[in-house]
Amino acid sequence: MPPEEQSLVYADVNRDVVRSLLVTGPRYYVALYTALGVTVLCFFFPWFYQLFYGIGAAGMNHPNVWGTYLSSFIFWIGLSHSGTLLSCVLHLTNSPWRKAMYRSAEAMTLFSLMVAGVMVFVHVGRPWFLHWALPYPNQMEMWPNFRSPLLFDVMAIATYLTGSIMFIYMGSIPDFAAVRDRTTGWRRHFYVLMSMGWRGTDREWHRLGLAYTFLAVLIIPLAVSVHSIVSWDFAMSIVPALHQTIFAPYFVVGAIYSGTAGIVTVMFLLRKYMDFGQYITTVHFDNLGKLLLALSLMWTYINLIEIFTAWYSGSSAELEALTYKLFGYYGALYWEMILFCALAPLLLISTRFRTSFVPMLILSIAINIGMYTERFLIVATSLSRQYLPDAWGFYVPSAVEVSILLGSLAMFTTLFLLFVKLIPSISIYEVKETLATPSNKTGSDAWQPSH
Amino acid sequence: MSPVPIEGVEEVLGKKFSVIKRFTFVGAVCGGMLGFALAAGTAVLYLHPTGGRPIITIPPFLIIAYELTILFGILATVLGFFLSARLPMIKERVYVPATAVDKFAVTVACDSQPHFQQAAKILSTAGAGEVSQLEEEA
Repeated sequence: MPPEEQSLVYADVNRDVVRSLLVTGPRYYVALYTALGVTVLCFFFPWFYQLFYGIGAAGMNHPNVWGTYLSSFIFWIGLSHSGTLLSCVLHLTNSPWRKAMYRSAEAMTLFSLMVAGVMVFVHVGRPWFLHWALPYPNQMEMWPNFRSPLLFDVMAIATYLTGSIMFIYMGSIPDFAAVRDRTTGWRRHFYVLMSMGWRGTDREWHRLGLAYTFLAVLIIPLAVSVHSIVSWDFAMSIVPALHQTIFAPYFVVGAIYSGTAGIVTVMFLLRKYMDFGQYITTVHFDNLGKLLLALSLMWTYINLIEIFTAWYSGSSAELEALTYKLFGYYGALYWEMILFCALAPLLLISTRFRTSFVPMLILSIAINIGMYTERFLIVATSLSRQYLPDAWGFYVPSAVEVSILLGSLAMFTTLFLLFVKLIPSISIYEVKETLATPSNKTGSDAWQPSH
Repeated sequence: MSPVPIEGVEEVLGKKFSVIKRFTFVGAVCGGMLGFALAAGTAVLYLHPTGGRPIITIPPFLIIAYELTILFGILATVLGFFLSARLPMIKERVYVPATAVDKFAVTVACDSQPHFQQAAKILSTAGAGEVSQLEEEA
């Protein structure tokens, strides 16, 4: 156990987490208002302009009918797999080091899903028809076409969003109870409601443990299916570079990869700005680094397979699409993606690198830039080179699109900043499980009988 | 009551039977059937031109069924948890705030003063830090 953790006692955990909720400095407000301002200016205003002017305000046109909106959507859905991996998979494998991190990872999942959902509204261009994607009885006697991967997407993402909300809420109930006892005013009312009268009896703990494990078991295949379904938005087309069976594993591995990199970024920021140095330590970064390395190797392998199958097929359309992707108009972006996602993560082989905070932060941001490039390339290069040469084209994102991308990042940041002040960002009871049980002595927190 | 779940409680207090798994199972099965019924039923109600392909296609509809299986499984598990843990707590029940921090409490239900004295003696000899009497609404 690292030296910092050995001196922690149960009461310290409560104190630190309550402090993280209640004590707010000016830096927080500057960050929050900046994020909120950027969201409004860079996301909502350009979106409203696009609603007024039309989808032509985005750079999309024939043949590139999809652009950065869709790649941003996939990027955010991918980032949402972080919570699932860290929280559910590592819960089932009983990993002790996940305990300080998983609450924030689950929150990242939730907020990425929300941002992805809003990206759909932007992407469709005419969001006032979006409710037609839901199966409701209507005067037109119309029902959605459930054979389409877009409808699989609707079902999958709705399920994933619901599941993530339930999961993070249920895991937080004991923590809401713990902070309820130490807060006053509107916060106390909020935590009283959210904790549902949790008392910490063994019956409650037992039921929570069971329900939590069941949810983890249900959510893991759900997460795999969600990103496979997103990949089938592409793979079920006939466009040469998209119509590949590798897409489902490719997207799932890429999602977990970019999600884990996102967690590293968030953990660095939490550690630095929320003063959680005792809870988020080199052990966590070391283990996350090992995960990232494994995922990077898998991702590299899948990319090689993609190139190999396209070349091996001998199909002229596939070969043209492949050559265009590697050496065409977007060739520089392809090699940047390889550098950031396949080559740079090899630095993680070194333990010294994995346990250094700032290098891990820089690498995790680089990985996510590379992963966004990957999603962008999937959309842009494939649609630019379809079967008919006279339908070839290229695509440059417009200012509106770039602004909305930045705005979506700001929206995620805003939501996350609100989260760290409302919901305990470190799981109190799970961290306590890693500490030594307190011995029988009366301290300043000694309970006094009520009469 | 404790700040963390305690291993080994089940051996002492007896293995607990939990109804949650039944909720999950029933919820998931209902979800599966509902999902397939939704996809297949709506396909039959509103016929898309499919170019000779089947109206009720199994693979895509199985995907919808699968998603709704998971969704209803999750919702049923959450419902089962709240029902079997008897949350939310409507009536006021005995609560010791320090158990959310670092104290472990054992509650014994007694209905008369002699019972309480007896229980207090047993708890003190077992090494309790504090023993006190609390009242709960019936």
